[in-house]
Amino acid sequence: MDFSLLLHHTVCGGLAAAGFGVLFNVESRGLSWCAASGALMLAARTVALERGWSMEAATFVAALAGGIAVQLLPSISCVSRDVLHLVGCIPMVPGAFATKAILGLFAITTLHPTAAGETFLTALDNTLQATFTVGALGTGLAIPTLLLRAHRIK
Amino acid sequence: MKTELLQPLLRREPLEEIAMVALEFGRLHMETGASARGVEEITAQVAAGLGAECADVRVGYASLVISIGIGPDWITRMRKVGPLGVNQRLYHTLRTAAAQIERGGFTVTQARAELDRLVRASPFHPDWLVAPAVGVACAAFGRLLDVDWAGVGPIFAAAALGHIVRRQLALHNLNVFLSATVVAFLASMLCGLAARWTGSQTVARDMIAPVLLLVPGVPSFNAQFDILQGRPTLGSARAVWVVGILVFTTIGVWLAQDLLGQGR
Repeated sequence: MDFSLLLHHTVCGGLAAAGFGVLFNVESRGLSWCAASGALMLAARTVALERGWSMEAATFVAALAGGIAVQLLPSISCVSRDVLHLVGCIPMVPGAFATKAILGLFAITTLHPTAAGETFLTALDNTLQATFTVGALGTGLAIPTLLLRAHRIK
Repeated sequence: MKTELLQPLLRREPLEEIAMVALEFGRLHMETGASARGVEEITAQVAAGLGAECADVRVGYASLVISIGIGPDWITRMRKVGPLGVNQRLYHTLRTAAAQIERGGFTVTQARAELDRLVRASPFHPDWLVAPAVGVACAAFGRLLDVDWAGVGPIFAAAALGHIVRRQLALHNLNVFLSATVVAFLASMLCGLAARWTGSQTVARDMIAPVLLLVPGVPSFNAQFDILQGRPTLGSARAVWVVGILVFTTIGVWLAQDLLGQGR
């Protein structure tokens, strides 16, 4: 386990989540919670990736773990659980994969069909990775909300 | 006889007011980034707290519809929904207020006054704070994408500038898709030029990081929530919007990379 990488990704996840917390107009008192949420999820994903899991599986587990932690937290007055969970997941949104995928698809149109094979495969790989990672994030986000929130309402 | 004829009309006025206040809560909640279930919950909570015995809500992408009933009287009303954004502070206070109204003790007038107060008392962070915060977030994203340290400064500056430009374009009511292309092009171009100047070895990746502020993370999650929770129509509409924003953002990056000869 590379602890310097884990520390680096944890700090970056926390900073990204706090930055997006400001953009989403989270109260100043709630920003440290946002940072903690993002840091926790990035740490979980990094550990899973270091253990050889795929990006999609690691992202799913991180979103699920973060969601369970957030739903089990005592009520925080300045930020809702849903938003805390969501902001924590933002650093894991595969925006770069999606952009690379669309750039790859653009590039295919400018190439001769015989030369487009490798570009097409790369674009397809990025597209599938972005799609499955978003799916994993959404599912990991939804499961704790649906189960634990329903349990609390009872 | 005359009183009997007037009776349904007299009972209809509170129903009308209850429906409109409930819809106003729902509209604002949706515009602050809530999922369809959240909007349905808050709208029904307010209607119930103000005396409606039954409330059915339908959440569309650009409109809300509510049918409420008290005894034999029912009315159905619709409200237009504005551009969907994310405002966590107002989102949270609306949920708290709706829960209070549901517990009872509010008249329609008091509920409307409370709603007006919440909207007025929900400030935004100042731009001088938001722009650097977005810069820091995108720089952190960049590091997660393995950009080198020489690329971090350009990403920070380009993302902060991109946010300022996006705010200005929104104030001038430019179409959100066109805005995404313009902001992505400017941020990516500026970042690419600055990253070359700082000697970054990961310029192509650097140019993607500052546009990540445009990636619609919350709408993409809401699209999935809506589909998972049995509202596929709204979820699909949100997903199409997300794909549109991504395509228009990528066009901006592609133009910038093409001009700088990157990404080939």
